[in-house]
Amino acid sequence: MIEKLSKNLVNLKKEFAKIYDGTSHIQEVIPVSKSEIFPIKQQDLELLHQFATKNPIYYNSYEKTIGKTHCIIYEGDINKYWLNSIQHSSSCAPFSPTWIVSAYVCVLLAKELGYREVIDIGSGDGRIAFCAKVLDLESYSIEIDNMLVDLQKLLTTLDFHPYCSDAETFDYSLLNLSQPIFFIGGLAQMGGIALASGVLKKINSISNLKKNTGWVFVGTNSQKYQPDPKNMAGWGTLIEKNNLKSIQTITLPTVWTFHESEETPYVFAETVSDK
Amino acid sequence: MASIDDISSMFHTESEKLEHLINNVTKKSELSIPEIIETYYQIINVSSMSTVLKQQINANEHQTLLDKIAKIDKVISDKFNSNIHPQIMEKLANSIQNTTKNLQSGNEEKSKEEIENKAKEYEELRQIMSTKEFVEQYDKELSHD
Repeated sequence: MIEKLSKNLVNLKKEFAKIYDGTSHIQEVIPVSKSEIFPIKQQDLELLHQFATKNPIYYNSYEKTIGKTHCIIYEGDINKYWLNSIQHSSSCAPFSPTWIVSAYVCVLLAKELGYREVIDIGSGDGRIAFCAKVLDLESYSIEIDNMLVDLQKLLTTLDFHPYCSDAETFDYSLLNLSQPIFFIGGLAQMGGIALASGVLKKINSISNLKKNTGWVFVGTNSQKYQPDPKNMAGWGTLIEKNNLKSIQTITLPTVWTFHESEETPYVFAETVSDK
Repeated sequence: MASIDDISSMFHTESEKLEHLINNVTKKSELSIPEIIETYYQIINVSSMSTVLKQQINANEHQTLLDKIAKIDKVISDKFNSNIHPQIMEKLANSIQNTTKNLQSGNEEKSKEEIENKAKEYEELRQIMSTKEFVEQYDKELSHD
């Protein structure tokens, strides 16, 4: 069901990119109601719309039918957050979000894989952590940029616990995690490796989290970036080096691939069990 | 593989193009991003040819060409590296500082049109920043020489 959902979302994005004639800095769509193509609970869809409506990065929205799906298009601008994040010396990558529905689909897969807590690292406006709450998972959002954390605090109608902190030094033992999955924000080639390595080191120092922990890495197969010799959309070497194994990869639309033909692969991995 | 004569003929054409570009740049007080990129590209292009030719030619057989290489090397070193390049670096840094300050001022609510117009200024800032990175890369290579 999740693979079909991600495929349908990619098709919707491609159709939308073809017909979109606006000039906004960022744009995304959310289906208005549950359908055969998007079998998402109506209540969940409404919460996703609520997140977009309350989010000050979006300044305009309108309804449009794309293919067979009636949607709301959200137009936004994240330039001021970009400017602030590049001035943050310890910020690895400037803020550029995934689509809200993509965040939902990713968390849906995390839930199906049996994870109980979502920790959104480099969380931007906190959309992944928000979606985890929509799907009744516990969630925590770690973001180093104070301007983005202030933005998250406007969006905590469901409390996804925003923390303004450096994810590489954050004390994860405070969260009493039992079966967590960590979403690492940022491409491998844009500081993601350093960020993921730092968080992996912290988590491996907590005895009950050496196992039962999942990882989601945001990948790219774009030729703009140096490929990883072990592939995995840029993450192969880190996955092998940290004794992880890849479980599944789903491809979803993101803000930064709106004008690209290739979408963003999300690589799900877990610790290799001791034999 | 290209012969020395081919590279030599190409060198003449490209170094003339470079001198023309440098003369143009000297006359202007403001340079556009494409003009900056074109000038650095041509500097790198001619410098690479000069390096290859100096390694391959015989001083007895190609004295005229060697003189031409020395002349253009001097133009690059005295006119461009010591004079124009530091000015470009300074102007790019000032431009980034001023644009950033301008973009960070004024937090009042804006209309859709105003936001989208402002987005163009951010796009210009991104272009200036990536040009500065490119120019800084040239500067690093200069300091390694």
